[in-house]
Amino acid sequence: MTNSKTDPQNPRVPASELLPEEIFARLQAQTRRHFLRSFSAGLGTMFLGTLASPFVSSSMAGELDLDGTPRLNFTRDPKSPLSALPPQFAPRAKRVIYLHMAGAPSQLELFEHKPELTKLDGQDCPLSFLTGKRFAFINGVPKLLGSQYPFHQAGQSGQWISDRLPHLEKHIDDLCLIKSMRTDQFNHAPAQLLVQTGDARLGHPSLGSWVLYGLGTENQNLPGFIVLLSGGNSPDGGKQLWGPGFLPSVYQGVQCRSHGEPVLYLDNPAGVSRNLRRSMLDAIDEINHQSYAEFGNPETVTRIAQYEMSFRMQMDATDAMDIRKEPQAVRAAYGSTPGESSFANNCLVARRLAERGVRYIQLYHWGWDSHGSSAKEALNIGFADRCREVDQPIAALLQDLRSRGMMDDTLVVWGGEFGRTSMRENRGGQAMTLVGRDHNPGAFTIWLAGAGVKPGITFGQTDEMGYEIVKDPVEIRDLHATILYILGFDHHKLNYSYQGLDQKVTGVKPSRVVPEILA
Amino acid sequence: MTSSVHHFSARVCFGLLTLGPALILPVLVLLAPPDGNERAQFLQFIGHFHPIAVHLPIALLVLVPVLELAGRSRHFPYLLPSADFLLGVATCGAIVAAALGWCLARSGGYSGSVVTQHMWGGVFVAMAAWLCWVLRARNSASHLDPVYAIALLATVGLVTFTGYRGGQVSQGENHLTEHMPARLRTLLGLPPSEISDAASSIGGSATLFGARIQPVFAGHCIGCHGRSRQRAGLRLSSYNAVMHGSKHGPVIKAGDPKSSKLFHRITLSPTDDDFMPAEHKPPLSPGEVKLIELWISAGASGTQSADSIKSVPADTVPSPPVAEVTFEEFDPAAITKQRAVLASTVAQLQQRFPGALDYQSRSSADLAIDASLLGSKFGDNDLAALAPLGEHIVTADFSGTAITDSSASAIAAMKRLRSLRLAHTKITDATVQALVPLSQLESLNLFDTPVSSAALPALGHLPRLRHLYVHETKIPADAPMPEDMKEKIIF
Repeated sequence: MTNSKTDPQNPRVPASELLPEEIFARLQAQTRRHFLRSFSAGLGTMFLGTLASPFVSSSMAGELDLDGTPRLNFTRDPKSPLSALPPQFAPRAKRVIYLHMAGAPSQLELFEHKPELTKLDGQDCPLSFLTGKRFAFINGVPKLLGSQYPFHQAGQSGQWISDRLPHLEKHIDDLCLIKSMRTDQFNHAPAQLLVQTGDARLGHPSLGSWVLYGLGTENQNLPGFIVLLSGGNSPDGGKQLWGPGFLPSVYQGVQCRSHGEPVLYLDNPAGVSRNLRRSMLDAIDEINHQSYAEFGNPETVTRIAQYEMSFRMQMDATDAMDIRKEPQAVRAAYGSTPGESSFANNCLVARRLAERGVRYIQLYHWGWDSHGSSAKEALNIGFADRCREVDQPIAALLQDLRSRGMMDDTLVVWGGEFGRTSMRENRGGQAMTLVGRDHNPGAFTIWLAGAGVKPGITFGQTDEMGYEIVKDPVEIRDLHATILYILGFDHHKLNYSYQGLDQKVTGVKPSRVVPEILA
Repeated sequence: MTSSVHHFSARVCFGLLTLGPALILPVLVLLAPPDGNERAQFLQFIGHFHPIAVHLPIALLVLVPVLELAGRSRHFPYLLPSADFLLGVATCGAIVAAALGWCLARSGGYSGSVVTQHMWGGVFVAMAAWLCWVLRARNSASHLDPVYAIALLATVGLVTFTGYRGGQVSQGENHLTEHMPARLRTLLGLPPSEISDAASSIGGSATLFGARIQPVFAGHCIGCHGRSRQRAGLRLSSYNAVMHGSKHGPVIKAGDPKSSKLFHRITLSPTDDDFMPAEHKPPLSPGEVKLIELWISAGASGTQSADSIKSVPADTVPSPPVAEVTFEEFDPAAITKQRAVLASTVAQLQQRFPGALDYQSRSSADLAIDASLLGSKFGDNDLAALAPLGEHIVTADFSGTAITDSSASAIAAMKRLRSLRLAHTKITDATVQALVPLSQLESLNLFDTPVSSAALPALGHLPRLRHLYVHETKIPADAPMPEDMKEKIIF
């Protein structure tokens, strides 16, 4: 011991003294140059940090959005990914019923009264209508085509409507017509995708998925986003129209059928009891939970939730979809016939689903692509049938929602994916025997009704030919922003981080909530 | 010797050179004082360099006594000779800064005692600095001349005073005490904060003054009659300031627009010299003039509520339909605080009624209950459990539940209800008649209930009611009812 103490080469120093010594040695190794270099570099970095934006660091941490306001948190217990969350601010509507007329109905035969166009019917279309435009089928110089049906003013609001929608006409004072919608897609699939997902390309969540992601659903025994097709053709945009895109797949729309099992394979197969199904699901759940514990893939949780929901749905969905439970008078009002796939049945089901707290109900009707290339797609034949198929059910739905007081918190949207031209289609440059119009992305009409929108007004205006917008254009993303606003969201805040971007349904282009139509 | 003579002569040369401009300053201030009018653009342009130029002489003049003291300690003797040079630079800087200051005050529309005091302060600082510099010749390394020392101290004092006045000109009269902690304030014997003064100008959107009148002043007048510039001593940036008036006295005579100077000046012919806003700035719109007239006639109150004047001309009311939607920001911490009192009760009831109870939105502590999904499992006892939250519930949906008339009082206690759904329940007229206290109720849904026409008169007392849904009740479509009820009732 004494030796070591006196040995200058190998002094025994207690550990507690070693550390300060180490620090001291390091400090001594720091020259003034080191200090100046790191000091100025550090100071510069700090300065640059403040320059970039004060919120970058907290944005990285996921607390703030890019505008510096607090980020809304949409995370939920993985076991109940659809549980309801309050909206950002007090909502005007709690749910949406969206009636999409796939194929794009002609606004000039329904809501756009253009006497000037009727006057010029059959004349050559002005060249200014054609320069720089692309059409799906029009070739050469087409003829102008006046409205095929007479128009008249209806209701106290005196809005113009054609004679094709006699039932809906009774609700004209409830409708908020937007006649200045426009899109940048002139083919059905991308245009439908744009309307339903905010993007013309595949892979983006549909508006219903966004709403479900943002608000969840109160009824855990039914999907929060239900899609009903009306038989006939499926929409060109395909199932992506109600797909979840980059959102967790639990937020996708669930396509239900209006006859048979509401969801395919929902019922237990013959010989499998509900108890057996339960124990089967328990076993699958356990395996899935193990898989989740090992790999942490959120889609595994989604799958567990889906199994559980379909089990609960076996009772509730079947009941909700069964329109036989409605009194005969109600079914007659909708013009519905149990057992078939029809828009009328779907409208009635939509009301039943809305009553059960389903957040977003998407109906598709089909066959509105009135080119005049076949009887089914001619303005003077098939178009009239399409009108008949939707007119009475929509009117009954509006009436039903109104008398049940559900218009207070339900937003109904009706529209196609683009408009139709003021010119008669001349496929291949030839005169056609049947009457039709080509696609016009430049202007089309939609309407909204119910919670949050002004009833009995028309917003926006097209020129005398109904061809181009002359006042108050509304982009698809403006419509989405407005719908989300009515549901209680700032569309910037309903976002999801994906591929390095805070994705939102309105995309990155500036979009505007349309205040003029808000009640 | 020679060097000393040479040194001295340089001092004299400098002294004489700077004395001229230093003496011109008081003459300028005397002959051409700032009078609140705006003048030549160029004068204003160079004048605005005053705030930049002023800090150099301030710093140097404060530094000189430091050098004088430090240079006399044995550690920093080398500092002492610098003081002389710094005084010279400070003198030049002070003269330049004062001259620029005069340019700004004279041309930029300033007036008032604070500005005058600041100007004279600046002039005296320049002259005092010059004097100090001359007096410093009496100093040596070993000897600190008392006259010089006193002059130097006085100069620093002057700099402090002038700087404070300058701060008042640019940042407001109470810029040093405005945000002083309340305790320090009482310790120093200062009156309570005047932030209320600012609040009455910005906040108070519920008052007519805050919501309608203040925006007119802010849009047209505040450029010349605001915090930083107060032509004729008139400040229109807050209610108190407006009522205080100008240096010529009050400009508003409550109840009498015709005798109110402010109203007189804005209603002159635009070609009149006294017309306000002056200098061809955009005049007030007829609606805005009318609005001010109405406000003065009604007593020029600062507390009168915004909606008290009904006949306000349309062009002064921002019309909500065309106003772009703005998304209100909210502070999550503040919301959490608001919710704190009910949070535990809410959490308990959320457990009891899964999916039925939640806050109406993320930005409020208001609650929404939707018991319709619980159906017949939700009865009177369950509804009674909501009692502690009654005042916070703004929308309630009891459709299809097992509640009966015995819940009537519990529902009626939810005084802030805006929307109430009782569809598909067994409630009768008794419940409906008990709903009279719901003064906020806008929508009442009685669809498919045994309610009869007897309940209608009670509902006439609900001031906000807009929709009354009575489809499939005992109320016939042709039931006699007052006109205003006919507009609300939906069959």
